[in-house]
Formats: sequence, structure tokens, C-alpha cells
Amino acid sequence: MNNSDKPIANPIVVLREEFDDWAVLFNPDTADAVGTNPVGVAVWKRMDGRRSLGDIVSEIKASFTDTPDAAFEEIASFVNTLAEKGFVGLEADRKAANA
Amino acid sequence: MPEELKNSMAPAASRVMRSPRDLDLEITARCNLRCRYCYFFNNPAVEYRDLPAGEWLKFFDELGSLGVMKLTLAGGEPFIREDLRELIEGIVRNRMRFSFLSNGVLIDDEIAAFIADTGRCEYVQVSVDGSCAEVHDSCRGPGSFEGAVRGIRTLQRHRISATVRATIHRNNMHDLENIARFLLDELGLPRFGTNSAGYLGACCVNADDLLLNIAERQEAMATLLRLAEKYPNRISASAGPLSEGRAWRRMEEARAHDQPAFHNGGRLTACGCPSSKISVRADGTIVPCNMLNHIALGRINQDSLADVWHNSPALKQLRNRHAIPLAGFAFCADCPYMPYCTGSCPGLAYSIVGQVDHPSPDACLRRFLEEGGTIP
Ligand code: SF4
Ligand code: SF4
Repeated sequence: MNNSDKPIANPIVVLREEFDDWAVLFNPDTADAVGTNPVGVAVWKRMDGRRSLGDIVSEIKASFTDTPDAAFEEIASFVNTLAEKGFVGLEADRKAANA
Repeated sequence: MPEELKNSMAPAASRVMRSPRDLDLEITARCNLRCRYCYFFNNPAVEYRDLPAGEWLKFFDELGSLGVMKLTLAGGEPFIREDLRELIEGIVRNRMRFSFLSNGVLIDDEIAAFIADTGRCEYVQVSVDGSCAEVHDSCRGPGSFEGAVRGIRTLQRHRISATVRATIHRNNMHDLENIARFLLDELGLPRFGTNSAGYLGACCVNADDLLLNIAERQEAMATLLRLAEKYPNRISASAGPLSEGRAWRRMEEARAHDQPAFHNGGRLTACGCPSSKISVRADGTIVPCNMLNHIALGRINQDSLADVWHNSPALKQLRNRHAIPLAGFAFCADCPYMPYCTGSCPGLAYSIVGQVDHPSPDACLRRFLEEGGTIP
């Protein structure tokens, strides 16, 4: 996924914020689940198809005080994992699907 | 869900989730059978009445907003509800998955096709207690074996995961070998679970005829441990002779080698469920578990589930049960197994001694040995 790609969360996926430091993303159609932390939750909530991956990383850096420099790679890899599982699509996919 | 993920998602016993992950719902108080050891009927604390579909649907909306992942639909017999499809649609709409606990008899092609189409059913667990009608029907009534097997085959035809629970009692303990062969080889199930009839509900009236005595329990334990070796990873148990046999072997080995205490030993830690799940009775009363049906925590659509979950004093007390040391019970005085013992199910403890915060005498290893039992 590139910096300019605009990821969009699959609306069927449920975000369960289970503990202060632990959440689960759960796809009820496939029973797939991914555990994540508060940064992952913040990323998830921003994947609205309007923000680019770069926008999301900047917002995360601004709202989490100790975000490491490698944040972009980590967030991109998290989003890629979600994309492989069908939890996330790209805005372009949606356009193509609607075309 | 992959096994590793399930493990990594396991809640720490002392942490309470923001909302329950799973709920067990008794969606009906009606049943087409009257099994002689059913825990459900004959409970003086329970009002046996059904809620209209609208009440459940409203509750499902609340569960959806809380991010609940899975519902287990039980009863009574859940397939007896004429409006079952409507309920399933409400569950699907709220992005949840579901399972059933059933006697299998009422499952037909039509409802199986509907369930399969949702793609959301984890499994349907059917009770099978014998390898033939003679054994199974002895406690469940005429025609129930044929109906259960027909139900399982229907589920299989529709590619719905069918699982089986065999409840062990005096009438089927000599049929265990045949039951395993029938379920695993003939019906081709990947695995099945076992437990045993316990001193609960209708079983209390029939306890003398049905509950295993010490010698029978020992025999059932030995047979099941042998069958579990013969069919590796295909026979499971969270209660009953197989589960006890496994746990008691570990406890005896630890005692004999003077091993350090188990991490959850020496306290009433057996039941971790109140930190991740909760139940609702057919009449809409929220309870901690179907085995603790007398502890009313609130009512659906009147009390907020999140509020009950976080603030119910009775639930808090149950969650704090894990801090209660076995050393404080006269029942456990000087027991060499104490560092390895978890006190077992509070529901059974309540049913036998009338106290939730007490070890269950039924699962007490020392008592089993004192009464002449040996660990196979
Ligand atoms: S007396 Fe029974 S319940 Fe108590 S610690 Fe010993 S084995 Fe466990
Ligand atoms: S009360 Fe017993 S049956 Fe219920 S959740 Fe706890 S251990 Fe399981």
C-alpha cells in the first residue's frame, strides 16, 4: 500500500475495544479476528476512504506522543495485513466496483 | 477462528472485558422432549415462559452496539421456536455469529438451508447419548435417537458444522465404546464432547437411577481415557469423567512429586467465564451462567447490559471468587491436593451444598479416593 492510497474499512468488520490496551477486529462472515492495540484502533477508525495512508500516519503521529519514526512502515504493514484478510479495501477498489 | 488467535485472545482471568464477548441465550423454555437428567427443567428459581421475538430483536440491537461476537442459542429446545428465522436474521443484522445446543429432532432441510445461507453459524451441537435407540431413548424418550441422527445428517448435508455432546450416566456407561465408534466412524464426525449427568434440575429427582456411583465413575473414566488415546484429539470434555480423569491424573502426579502449586491452584478459580460471557434465561432474566440460573442480575431491555456487566454486585462477587482460598474451608482441611485444586464449577457447588462460594463436592478428588475410587 502506498502513502497516497486511501484505505477503507470493511463495514461488516466489528471493532471490539475489549480492554484499554487491547481490541479485536472481527469479521462475522469469516470468523477471522485480528487483535490490536490503541494505535491500531486509531488507524482503524480513520480508514474512511477519504484519508490517505499518509494522512492517517500524520494524524497518528500528532495524537500519540511517543510514535516511533518507523510508524509509517508499521502502520502500512498493519493495514496490509488487514487488506489481505479482506478487512480493508482501497477507495480505488470501491470506485472500480461501482463502475 | 484459528486456534493460536483464540489463545492469544484469551482474557486474563483477573481482567474484565468492556463488554461480554459471548452470550448463552435460552431462547425458549419449551422443549419437545423431557430428558430424565435435564438440568433445565424442574428448577424452582426459574420462570418457564418465552419472550416474544420483538424482545429478543431489541436485545440483539443492544448486543450489536456492544460489539458482542457470538451467541449460543439454547433452551429448552431452540428449534421449537416458530419465529427462529426472524431471530437469526436479527443476529446476522447485528454482525454476530451463532451456535445452537439442540436435541436435533426438529432440524429439517428447510431450517438447515436457511442457517447455512447465513454463513454465520459456528456449529450446531446435538445431544447423542447412545449408539442405538435402546440406550439413547432410555433417558430421552421414544423416537429421540432416530430424530437426533436424522438432524445430524441433515446438518451434514447442508455443510453446517455438526458437533455432538454425549452426557454420561448409568444407562449408557457400558455403551461408550460403541458411542465413539458410531459418532466418529459411522457418522464421520471430526470429534465429539462428553460430560456427565449432574445433580441439577430434573436430574435431582432421578439422581439415584442416573448418577454414576464411585465404581461406575472410575470405570467410565478408564474407558474414556482409553478411547481418547484410541481416537487422538477427537474426544473432548470440559466436565464429567474424561475431564476429571485428566485433571486428577495431573493432580496426583503433582502431589506424588511434591511439585509447586499450579498457577490457579489452591483457590476457587475453576470458573473464569464471568469475565468474558454472560447468559439470559428464556424469561429475559440476565444470569451469570445457565448453571447459576438463580442469580438474577437484571432483565433484558429494562436494564442496560453494559451496566449489569460492570456494576452488578453479584457478578463482582462471582468474579472475586478466584481470590477465595480453599484453605478456608473445613471441607478441604489438610487436603494434600489443595495446591493443585481449583474447586470446580460453582453451579454444581450451589446445587449440592447450597453455596456458590464453595468447592464442588462432586468434583473433589480427595472425596473420590476416600470413597474407594482410584485414578485409572
Ligand atoms: S478436599 Fe477436595 S475440593 Fe478441597 S482441595 Fe482437596 S480435592 Fe480440592
Ligand atoms: S458456573 Fe460452572 S458451568 Fe457455569 S460457567 Fe462457571 S464453571 Fe461453567
